[in-house]
Amino acid sequence: MNIVNLEIRHSSQVASAICMRGMRRIKSRPVLIIPTIVMPVVLVVSFTGAFSSLTRIEGYGTSNIYNWMAPYGALQGAVFAGLGSVGSSADDLEQGFFDRLLLTPGSRFPLLVGTVGYSACRALIPTTAVFLFSLAFGMTVPGGLPAVISLYIATSLLAVVFCLIGLIILYKLKTQRSLMLMQVIAFGALFISVGQVPQSFMDGWLKVAARYNPITNVLELSRQGFLGDVAWSTTWPGLLALVIMILVSGALAWRGLKRLAP
Amino acid sequence: MNENRSGLRLAGTQTLELTQRSLQNEFRQWVVILPGLIFPLMMAAVYSSQFGRALGLPGFPKVDSFLDFILPGSIVQAVSFGATSAGTALALDIEDGFFDRLMVSPVSRVPILLGRLGGAAVIAAGKAVILILIFLACGARIKSGLSGAVIVTLTASLLVLAIGGLAQSMAIKTRSQEAVGATFPLIFVTIFMSSAFFPTALMDGWFRALAENNPITWTVDPVRRLVIEGWSATDALQALGVPLLLSVLTISLAIRSLQRMLRSV
Repeated sequence: MNIVNLEIRHSSQVASAICMRGMRRIKSRPVLIIPTIVMPVVLVVSFTGAFSSLTRIEGYGTSNIYNWMAPYGALQGAVFAGLGSVGSSADDLEQGFFDRLLLTPGSRFPLLVGTVGYSACRALIPTTAVFLFSLAFGMTVPGGLPAVISLYIATSLLAVVFCLIGLIILYKLKTQRSLMLMQVIAFGALFISVGQVPQSFMDGWLKVAARYNPITNVLELSRQGFLGDVAWSTTWPGLLALVIMILVSGALAWRGLKRLAP
Repeated sequence: MNENRSGLRLAGTQTLELTQRSLQNEFRQWVVILPGLIFPLMMAAVYSSQFGRALGLPGFPKVDSFLDFILPGSIVQAVSFGATSAGTALALDIEDGFFDRLMVSPVSRVPILLGRLGGAAVIAAGKAVILILIFLACGARIKSGLSGAVIVTLTASLLVLAIGGLAQSMAIKTRSQEAVGATFPLIFVTIFMSSAFFPTALMDGWFRALAENNPITWTVDPVRRLVIEGWSATDALQALGVPLLLSVLTISLAIRSLQRMLRSV
């Protein structure tokens, strides 16, 4: 029993050390976080500015474009935060630091958990930046505190999902260059969802694709409190989608890591 | 007089040779060109399926489909993907020493810049033709016909020269591939802050003012009128004139930066 406890303690120490290393890396090189903050804020500016007139169409869901676009921008930021942490792992892999991590006694699992934890913590930064920026430009929060909590849960967990997806690809291709492929997947997944308009605005293939895209559920979870009250009927599909995506991508990433470092 | 003429001819030959080298480099890594085609096509497919209702908004130009409206914006976005490559490739030449070798060879200075830009312009024209054909196959219509399509293609090439000139100027100043590559998000944002994806008449406040005074808007609007309204010599001239003026400006800036760099060595 004591050995099991000791192993759990050791694993959690390794995972938290990897997570803290990532956060310290940001602190020592703040330039790394600039794209993570700037890009989602710029996307919010671009989308709200270019598509503000969409709120004039009946059925859009809100008359304030910031209430619609800010959660979308925050999720974009979270996805790039997740991929950013994969970029750090890719760097470790190419520089040889990953080999030194493999010398750590015990299971490989904490290596995965630490990276994923780092991505979840990193996602808090762009979410806060987008939230404060949009608030300053007129966004309202009719759902109150539960709305903000839903937003942070959705962004942190989505960062975990895309970190795991990125790691699956990284463990297979073992190069920084795979980041390009990850970005295309991430951008595509967010684009084919209710990011910019509600489903009722869509036609044909996009309507079907957005309906079955799990990101749509996550977007509805994060956006609900900015359009009205937070409701359990909108919350659980988003949480379920996130849990399923984490379980599937987590299992595949774990398999990839075990193949890379048996 | 004869010396001047033979000097110009030599510079022209050197530019062509260096353009050919640039094209060979691009085709050797043709996979890098693909995102520049796939991404705008994906955006066009998504936007035309989700912004159908926006066509009824007062102030939206009369179009048969959103696909017609977005064609010029998609082409601008596609060519912007490769526009900075003239700068990053020059920065790479500086970083790996090939630029120094060119400097000691009997090559005029200006063709070194123009050769890279020429390659990017040819690639841009190719991308524009591919996109036009795909859009036409998907049901879009260019009301000004073949002459309109030619103007759209030439505009794409000129726009790449304008952005590429700026990227080259940065490459000479920073001598860093990474720094030039980092300008891509700025170009992406500049396209969004224009009429490329939505009409400026439907924008509000400072964003609208910014979009209306954006050179991308000055280029996209006449091209769009050629696509959705039909042939107009004034629009054709504006579509070619704006990027031409911009490219003269940015390439002059790059040449000046190169001369300064050579003087400081």
